[in-house]
Amino acid sequence: MKLKQHPFIFLSSLLILVLVSFLFALSTGSSHLPSQTILSLVDGTASPIQQSLVFELRLPRALAAFAAGALLSIAGVLMQVLLKNPLADPYVLGVSGGSALAALLAMLMGVNTFWLTGSAFLGALLSISLVFSFAHSNGSWSISRLLLTGIILASGWGALISFVLVISPPEKIHGMLFWLMGDLSYDRPLLPSYIILFFGFLFSLSISRQLNILLWGDQQAGSLGIDIKRLRTSIFFISSLLTAGAITLAGSIGFVGLVIPHLVRLIIGTDHRLLIPASALTGGALLIIADTLARTVLAPQQLPVGVLTALIGVPLFLYLLRKSQ
Amino acid sequence: MSLKTHKLSLSIADKAICTDLDVCFNPGEFWGVMGVNGVGKTTLLQTLIGLRAIKSKNNSGHGYITLNQININDFRRIDLAQRIGMMLQEYEYNFPSTVIEATLIGRHPFITGWQMEDSLDQQIAISALKNVALENFLERSVSTLSGGEKRRLNLATLLTQNPDYYLLDEPVNHLDIRAQLEILYLLKEKFSHQKQCGIMVIHDPNMAYRFCDHMLLLFNDGQWLAGKTEDILTWENLSRLYNCPIHLIKETQHTLFVPHLSESSNES
Repeated sequence: MKLKQHPFIFLSSLLILVLVSFLFALSTGSSHLPSQTILSLVDGTASPIQQSLVFELRLPRALAAFAAGALLSIAGVLMQVLLKNPLADPYVLGVSGGSALAALLAMLMGVNTFWLTGSAFLGALLSISLVFSFAHSNGSWSISRLLLTGIILASGWGALISFVLVISPPEKIHGMLFWLMGDLSYDRPLLPSYIILFFGFLFSLSISRQLNILLWGDQQAGSLGIDIKRLRTSIFFISSLLTAGAITLAGSIGFVGLVIPHLVRLIIGTDHRLLIPASALTGGALLIIADTLARTVLAPQQLPVGVLTALIGVPLFLYLLRKSQ
Repeated sequence: MSLKTHKLSLSIADKAICTDLDVCFNPGEFWGVMGVNGVGKTTLLQTLIGLRAIKSKNNSGHGYITLNQININDFRRIDLAQRIGMMLQEYEYNFPSTVIEATLIGRHPFITGWQMEDSLDQQIAISALKNVALENFLERSVSTLSGGEKRRLNLATLLTQNPDYYLLDEPVNHLDIRAQLEILYLLKEKFSHQKQCGIMVIHDPNMAYRFCDHMLLLFNDGQWLAGKTEDILTWENLSRLYNCPIHLIKETQHTLFVPHLSESSNES
């Protein structure tokens, strides 16, 4: 594969893709802004209405979409290494379930956005620590045990989520369903997610060579000088935190964390030093595009972005799966 | 300089693998480790490289292992990996990877922090692949290799790591007979320079006799025998080891051990 020898060209073209998708998100919507108008925003010659449309509505939303996509993609890469399965996804260990349950309870009580995102994050943390303490209780890191614990907890959360949906008043159900499908339409603090993204990305990059070796199995990694227990524990917590950051920002958007790493791996191979930044950029760009489509395709009706990622993701994934056999 | 076990006793659950094992592995030696299936040969190698604790919650054990007079538990893992390496019996191939990438991971203990592999690392990996005749496969995907080619790739990774102690867990299984000889000659030649040492689990007594200068036999009850090949690898010891009559055929060029299990004794 030629791309592998030119990682910088590949990463720069992905950066351009990110910029293009930002432009697409800023110019598309109920009132279309041509690219000259976008440029005039920079030197301050645009009208105040256009200014506030872009800087107060579209830009924050695109930034949220980028962060969520990048967080989910890195989390997906890490989770796939942790579970030694290229088909694992960030939600497989039940992080999203715990988070969703907490968010729905917060919505039921009618709290403000700050408490909503806060409780979503706390729910994710609770779920993470439950999985960790059950799966790790005998001091060893067995993958099947970890997976089983996660899946069982996830189905438990699922049942509780259905219960909350059933007992909730009808006027709240719509918002709840949007949250569950993954939704970027409400206003939310961006900074915490970007902090998680920044440190999570740096940390993932710093262990990327160890990730390459972990793919060959624990014994091989250990004999090459890697402290496996510590590495596995840090992968678990970092990927879970990244996932929690994404869910808090945008609800449980499906398929991004599963499809993006897989797609990028098909193009550039399995070297995580390239795979992690490339997945982050691709995931971010694709989620910006998907979210822009979600708010424009049936405008003025908004779609949850999770519906669009699933509609794009399912056929794409089935195609990849078929091709890989 | 040596890798040494001191009164090392290991067990899995209640089954003894070795009791009070005192062996000193020195540079320049090529050891063969033999024993029946499940006797704990792999467990011993994993313990020697520090991947398995001598004593744990489920497994009793005592004694310790030193490398150059220092307890191996006192080494940082990465420092130990520069000195002891292991070719495993089996590897996992869950993700796509090329032959050269798989070989380069052997350089991991020598690369620090954010550094990338440089041209020197590349050269080392390529010359290791040349040694196992895989130099034309650099960009091939590992999943397309045959069983024997994968085995040679695993050895190339260890050659790239090039530690002082080569722990080899059945390095020649899956290989055709010519490839077996080539690999064993390559290893024997390597250890003959008196700088490195090989400790190899092997099942074929004839290959062991031909290539190994020292032998360690692990019996089922935790007993063991270690020493020079000509003292240890006798038909009496082998018959006891495998609980099976073994004949010795000596010719001018070759010494052959032939197991002789008649159908009637098989049933008993």
